Amino acid sequence: MKRREFLKFGTAGVASSMLGSLGLLTWVPRAHAITINKTYYITDGFVAQVDGQDVYFRGFSNSSGTLNMPAEPIIAQQGDTLNITIINTLGTTHSFVIDGIVDSGSIAGGASKTVSFTVNNAGSYLFYDKLNAPYNRLSGLHGGFAVMPSGSSNELYSGSATFVQQYFWVTNDVDPVWHEAIRVGNTPSTPFTPRYFTINGRNMRVPGHPEYTNTDRDSGYATDTRLVGSVGDRTLIRIQNVGLCRHSVHFHANHVEWLAVNGSPRPQVWKKDTLNLPNNKGSLDVIYPFEAPPDAWPPVSTGHFPMHFHDEMTQTAGGGFYQFGLATTIEFK
Amino acid sequence: MFKLKELVQMRNRGGGGTTSSGGGMGGGACYTYPDAPATIGRVTPDVSFNRGIYMNGSVQMDDGNSVRVWGFTDGGGGMGGMGGQFPSPAIRVTEGQIVHTNLTVNGMMWLHTIHHHGIEPSTENDGVGHYSFDVDGTYTYQWKAAHAGTYFYHCHTNTVLHAEMGMYGALIIDPPEGAGTLFSGGPDYDVEAIWACDEFDSSWHNLPWDAGTCGADVGLNKLDPDYFLITGVDGAQSAATNPAVAVTMSQQQTLLVRYINAGYLAQRIDFGGLEVEIHMSDGRALPQPETVTEIQSVSAERYDCIIKPQNTGVYTVTIEYLDWVTDEVIGTAQTRITVT
Repeated sequence: MKRREFLKFGTAGVASSMLGSLGLLTWVPRAHAITINKTYYITDGFVAQVDGQDVYFRGFSNSSGTLNMPAEPIIAQQGDTLNITIINTLGTTHSFVIDGIVDSGSIAGGASKTVSFTVNNAGSYLFYDKLNAPYNRLSGLHGGFAVMPSGSSNELYSGSATFVQQYFWVTNDVDPVWHEAIRVGNTPSTPFTPRYFTINGRNMRVPGHPEYTNTDRDSGYATDTRLVGSVGDRTLIRIQNVGLCRHSVHFHANHVEWLAVNGSPRPQVWKKDTLNLPNNKGSLDVIYPFEAPPDAWPPVSTGHFPMHFHDEMTQTAGGGFYQFGLATTIEFK
Repeated sequence: MFKLKELVQMRNRGGGGTTSSGGGMGGGACYTYPDAPATIGRVTPDVSFNRGIYMNGSVQMDDGNSVRVWGFTDGGGGMGGMGGQFPSPAIRVTEGQIVHTNLTVNGMMWLHTIHHHGIEPSTENDGVGHYSFDVDGTYTYQWKAAHAGTYFYHCHTNTVLHAEMGMYGALIIDPPEGAGTLFSGGPDYDVEAIWACDEFDSSWHNLPWDAGTCGADVGLNKLDPDYFLITGVDGAQSAATNPAVAVTMSQQQTLLVRYINAGYLAQRIDFGGLEVEIHMSDGRALPQPETVTEIQSVSAERYDCIIKPQNTGVYTVTIEYLDWVTDEVIGTAQTRITVT
C-alpha cells in the first residue's frame, strides 16, 4: 500500500466541511419516479475523541478530500432508479451493499464501480460495506437510505402514522484498538471493548466544555441529530445501529410511537419511552410527536431534554467522561 | 486537538473557568452544575415525598460478600448518609395528582438528582444535571401524574455510576380507581409484585461519586457483572423465597407483575410456563394486550403483566441477563410464583 497522508479531523473549522452536517432530511413528493445519480468516494482519516485519542475511520464521502462518517444519507421514492458510483481512493477492497436491494461486489483499491437499482418498498435501509464483516462497516463505511412511499411526503410506509419532518440517526460503538487493527490491515484479535459511542459519528458535549454547542463536534447541537420542533411537529426518526451492541434508546419529555423494527412495520403501534435497538444493522423507526410534555405542572410547551441510550456505559468516553457519550438534545422551541 | 489539561472544571452552571478542588485526572468533579433554585410555578401539592441520600448502604449476597450501595432515604435529611433501603423507597401516587418530590443533598460532599423515568415534566423538573442542575441543598421537583402505570426514579448525576450503585426506586401511578386496577378501563388484580431486575459489577462499587467526570479512565464503559438481583435481593438463591420478591397466591387470584429492567443489560424473563398478558409498557396501555410466556427487555423498559394461573403449582421465574454484543446469557436470577 502506498504510503499516504491520513486526513485528520477534529478541529472546528476543518471538520465543519467534513463531517456530515445536512440537518433534516428534506423531501418533496413527486408524481413520477426519477433517476437519482450519486457518487461516493471511499476515504479515510482520523477523528479526535474528547479524551484526546485519535481514532481511525473510513467513510463513503462526498469528495476525495473529505471524510463523511456516516455517509450523507440518500432519500428516494418508490419506483426511483438509483445510479450509485463508488470511487475507492484507498488501497483496500470495499463494497456498497443495501441488503435485499443491491450488492456491488468487490471494488478493488483504486477502482470504481457504478451500481444501478430500482427501489420498490418504502422504508428505512442501511447502505454499508459488507466485506471483511463486520470490520469495514464498523470502521465508518455506512449510511442511511430512505425510500418514501410513492407520492407521499409524510408517511414511513403507505398508511403509516404521519410526520412533518424526518431524521436519520446512525449509531455506532467504537473500539479504537479494533480501528487501529483495521487501519494496518489486520483482523482485530482482542475482545470487542467499545470506548466511544456515536450518533451520526459524534458524541455529546456539555456546558463548560470548549466544544459545547459546536455543531461539528457536539451531537447535542449537530443539526442532523438535534431534534428541533414546536408542539405538533411530529418527527420521524430512522434509527440504524451499525454497531455490535444491543442498546436501549430513551426519550425524555415525550413517548414515541414505535412504527417499525428491523424494517418491519409493527402490527400495533406502541407508545414507548424506552426501546430495544437491535445490534448488527438493527433498526427502529419511531415518531417523536412533539406534544407538550404531559407531566409538566404548570404546563409548558418549550424546553430542552435529552435523548440518550440507557445502557449507561454508552454515556461515557474513554472509560469516564459521563455525559460525553451517545446522546442528543430534543429542543421544544 | 483537545487536551485533558484544557478541561474547564465546572462547579457552577455556565461558569466556565471556575475551578474546583482537585486536578483534571481523577481528582474533583467536572461538568457538574450545582444549584437549588425555587421551583417555578410552585403550588400546594396533592402529595409529597421527601428524599435524602445515603452513600454507605450494603447488600448481602448469597456468597457471603457484601456490596456497597447508594440510594435515597425516606423522609429527607440523610445528610450524613446513614444507610437506607435498597431499592430506594417507592413513590406511589394517583393519576391526576400534583406531586412534590423534595430532594435534599449535601452539595459539599456529593451531588445528585432525581429523574422520574418515564414521567415527562418541564426541563427544570426532569432531573438531568447538564440540562438543569445537580441538586445542592433542597430542590422540589413538581410534576403531575398524567398517566397511570409503572415507572421508576433514579439519580441522573454521573448516571452510569449512580444508577449502577442502586440509586433508584419504583414509581407507581395508580388510576383514580386506586390500587387493584392497573389503569382506567384496564384489568383488576388481587396480588401485586414489583420486580426491578438489576445486575451489579462489584468492581464499580468502590468508586467515588464523581469518578471519571474529569476524564479519567475508570472503566465505566465496561460492565462485567458478577451479581444478578431482583428488587434488591440476590437472584442466585435468596430471591426464590424472599417474601419481598417471591409471590404466593391462590389460583382464583389475579397477579400483576410490574417488571422493571433496572440494569443496563438486556434481559429475558421467563415465567416458568405461566401465560402472561402484557397490558402496558412504559406507562402506556397497549392497543391490544399480548399473551406471551417470556419477555425480552432492555435497560429501563417496564412491562405490566397480568397472570391468571390455570393450575396450582410452583412456577420458577428466571431472568436471564444478556451480553450486549453476543446476547449470550451471562447471569441469571430466579424467583417463584407459588399458586395454591
